[in-house]
Amino acid sequence: MSNHDVAKTLDLKGLPCPMPVVKMSQEIGSVSVGQIIEVLTTDPGSISDFPAWAKSTGNEVLETVQGDPIKIYVKRLK
Amino acid sequence: MDDKKKQELLDAFSEKLTNAVRLYMDGCTRCGTCIDSCHAYQSMPETRYTPVGRAQVVRRLFDRYFKLSGRIAPGMNEAVEFTDEWMQQVLDAAYSCTGCRRCMTVCPFGIDTQQIQGIAKHLVNTAGMTPVVLNMLADMSIAKAETIEDTRENFEQGVKNLEAEVIEKWKSEAGEDAIPIGAQDANVLYVALAGKHSIIPAAAVMNAAKEKWSLSYFEAVNFGAFAGNPAKTKVIARRIIDEATRLNVKEVAICECGTAYRVMKYMTGDHPFKVVSVVELFARYVKEGRIKLDKSKIEGGVTYHDPCQMARNGGIYDEPRYLLEQLTDNFVEMTPTREDNWCCGGGGGLVAMGEKDFRMKSSSVKVDQVKATGAKVLCTACENCHTQLSDLNEHYDVGVKVEFLSELLADALVSE
Repeated sequence: MSNHDVAKTLDLKGLPCPMPVVKMSQEIGSVSVGQIIEVLTTDPGSISDFPAWAKSTGNEVLETVQGDPIKIYVKRLK
Repeated sequence: MDDKKKQELLDAFSEKLTNAVRLYMDGCTRCGTCIDSCHAYQSMPETRYTPVGRAQVVRRLFDRYFKLSGRIAPGMNEAVEFTDEWMQQVLDAAYSCTGCRRCMTVCPFGIDTQQIQGIAKHLVNTAGMTPVVLNMLADMSIAKAETIEDTRENFEQGVKNLEAEVIEKWKSEAGEDAIPIGAQDANVLYVALAGKHSIIPAAAVMNAAKEKWSLSYFEAVNFGAFAGNPAKTKVIARRIIDEATRLNVKEVAICECGTAYRVMKYMTGDHPFKVVSVVELFARYVKEGRIKLDKSKIEGGVTYHDPCQMARNGGIYDEPRYLLEQLTDNFVEMTPTREDNWCCGGGGGLVAMGEKDFRMKSSSVKVDQVKATGAKVLCTACENCHTQLSDLNEHYDVGVKVEFLSELLADALVSE
């Protein structure tokens, strides 16, 4: 069970392609460097999309928790 | 704009100057036949939203740099130089066009305006003016090729967690995975999008057909194409080509995504496998008697929106109609239809970019077309179109139910 100090939760369940990553990209600036966003999603693709997005934007996926919804914890690094 | 930047833009323009493009540049007589063909102009009658108006923004640069008259006496024609201000017009032209190619079908000279728009996007990209979101998405897709090994097990588990929902639609054979993944020598590699709605119905249909298939680890859509970046387009497509080749599949079936289909089918060269749309695959299942459908599931009239990248730009018209005729006795064609169908207004990257105000205003002609059918269900076979049509449905209170074709098929599957 994850135990992250979450600054913000994004409910991205059921969004069409490519909106989960687009919304994340828009929202990452709303938290401070070092803070964590919790993403709620129903898309299995997000499990591999978010780490790829984090790599290409210089952020970090801390943990992915399977379930309904899937929870992904993203830390803003810059 | 400094000379170095101008030279980079000139080099980028030169890269796109095939003999066909030169013909398209020189062959336009400004007859204006294309003007009324654009959904954006029909909905927002401004010159900047005409196909010829957009093309002129690029053509005037061509006149300056690639025609003798423009090089020796640029004041004699409408030639313009690369400037920061003019590049803003190029940006506007590039991203107010969805690339639907309806204008091309009416041009008496066969000018492919989309190829001119391709130059506009390439220039915009070279100038570093591509909408940030499109580059971000393309870069994410490229990075996925490098991170896929780290996320493989998690993704497989996420897919496994969907199997119960697939089985609700169609019970798999004993011992068979409802969503096979990474399967060697499958007949079909199915390339979906990120969302489960892109996986579950298609999985049910393929299982009902007893297909030997496998789900791709990658998403079908190619954001490099939306960004007008040929190099990124190639790298993103290569991930799927390499996967399909490694797995030794016979066919790659692209999900309901028009751009993904067109890029993989027509822009990536020859492969040791065949590329089909999942719509073609499913029509084949029905024709071969591999799946049976219940015609009583859908209530009310059903109409179909041809996704431009699958239909006008990809040639797939008959298969979706054949499938809908198996699903309902109340199929209603739109007017105009098939190659004359109005674009939904969401293509070319506009949905990903947001741009909701422009998307809604520039597509009122589509709304009128849908309303005129009197249909209760608006079916399409493209994620981008589905999003745009859903937004139009809500914005204009059209009152239809927007559905994917695969979802209608999966819900109508019967044993006998």
